[in-house]
Amino acid sequence: MTQYTRVIVLLLSALWSSALPLRAEDESPLLPFGTQEIGLTAGYLLPFRLTTNATTKQSGPAFMPSWGIVVTDPIGRSWYRGQIILGAEIVYIQFQQPVLTHGVGFTPKIKYLFAGIHSVRPYVEFAGGPFYTDLAGRIPEESSRFNFFLTGGIGLSWFVTPRMSLNAGYRFEHISNAGTRYPNVGVNSNLPYGGFSFYF
Amino acid sequence: MNIGRSRARTVVGWCAIMLALNTGCSRWIEIMTPEPHIGSSMQTIAQQEQVPLVLDRIRLTRNGAPQSLSGETEQRILGSLREIGLFARLGPPGSADFSRNEKVIRAHVLVDEAVDSHPGAAAWKGIAIGASMFLLTPVLPLEYDYAAHLTLELERWDGQIKRYESQSAGTAHYHLFGATPVMIDELKGHVTESCLTALLQQVVQDTSFYMASSAPLSDNPIRSVSVKSRRPDGPVTSVVPISASTTK
Repeated sequence: MTQYTRVIVLLLSALWSSALPLRAEDESPLLPFGTQEIGLTAGYLLPFRLTTNATTKQSGPAFMPSWGIVVTDPIGRSWYRGQIILGAEIVYIQFQQPVLTHGVGFTPKIKYLFAGIHSVRPYVEFAGGPFYTDLAGRIPEESSRFNFFLTGGIGLSWFVTPRMSLNAGYRFEHISNAGTRYPNVGVNSNLPYGGFSFYF
Repeated sequence: MNIGRSRARTVVGWCAIMLALNTGCSRWIEIMTPEPHIGSSMQTIAQQEQVPLVLDRIRLTRNGAPQSLSGETEQRILGSLREIGLFARLGPPGSADFSRNEKVIRAHVLVDEAVDSHPGAAAWKGIAIGASMFLLTPVLPLEYDYAAHLTLELERWDGQIKRYESQSAGTAHYHLFGATPVMIDELKGHVTESCLTALLQQVVQDTSFYMASSAPLSDNPIRSVSVKSRRPDGPVTSVVPISASTTK
């Protein structure tokens, strides 16, 4: 076993043991109605070319501070048991490729947090809103700075404590101007990400 | 002139934002109280006639599923029973403070809760609110329903049982930014209080049934080995008023 692997195993063991007290108390840490969620997520944007018209290989880091509020008690009694969280997030992307540019947006979002198993709760989420970027005009797919940003994805929340979770997931993201100017091929991206949330 | 108009627009804009934020955080609670029972809610009972009550069992179900009981619910029920002054003293479930050979009322309580947070409405309204960039928040209120059905069984020392039931329901209307756990606690508090009041009004109607002199101590060999009165014979020394409030 290499030293690098040992460090990873030790870190994972420490995180696992920190979650054990929670698992003993409550198999599924469901959030009370009205609980607020504040989170920060970071990931790295990678190109996803859906059509041959899209040629740009955009990439760069993305940061997404978010807020949400639990608006339901747990729904259902089967595998889909979970809660709805409504909220919003600010999206900041620094496009490092093909040219150093920036983008910022505000996206209301809806998230369904499954009850999950023990302290691990999967979720699906969808968000969309206006997005401003100076990438426009520098790539063939975008012609206007004012765009719309749509994203949908899946993830896992690991409740290290009842008030804190570590999150990891994947999002598909689409940026285009809804046909307000042409060309409007749009930019599609993959976004693997990680982050954390606090609940209060 | 233009500066004046610009300022006026700014002021109006800020007022609109503040109004929208204020409305977006608002909430109100609507309670459907049960019909009050007709009859006297004030009676008197001699202290010597009071018998102790032990809360034998409390069960809680939510939407039909059994739940673990919080100490708060238990204390609330005990507190309400204590307030009416019908019983000499009260013991929580499993209480060993009562001897086998004294007259004791045993209480069994079933709290059946029905909760509906309207997930379907929350989802579509949430999408509509999000799509409008939260501008529709003040005009799309959300709802949370809570109903409670209380069943109280009081078993007299001679084995006779009386059963009382009451139910109450309420709805919390709120705008997205006004959703808090406190709001739900308030709703549940109001509904439970209303339900308990209605239930205890019924209990008070049967005051004579729970008087110590209403029945002799049972000869049940399991419960008592020897029968001996603990209270000295003599005149009634004091009178305790029994009340059950009809308003919240």
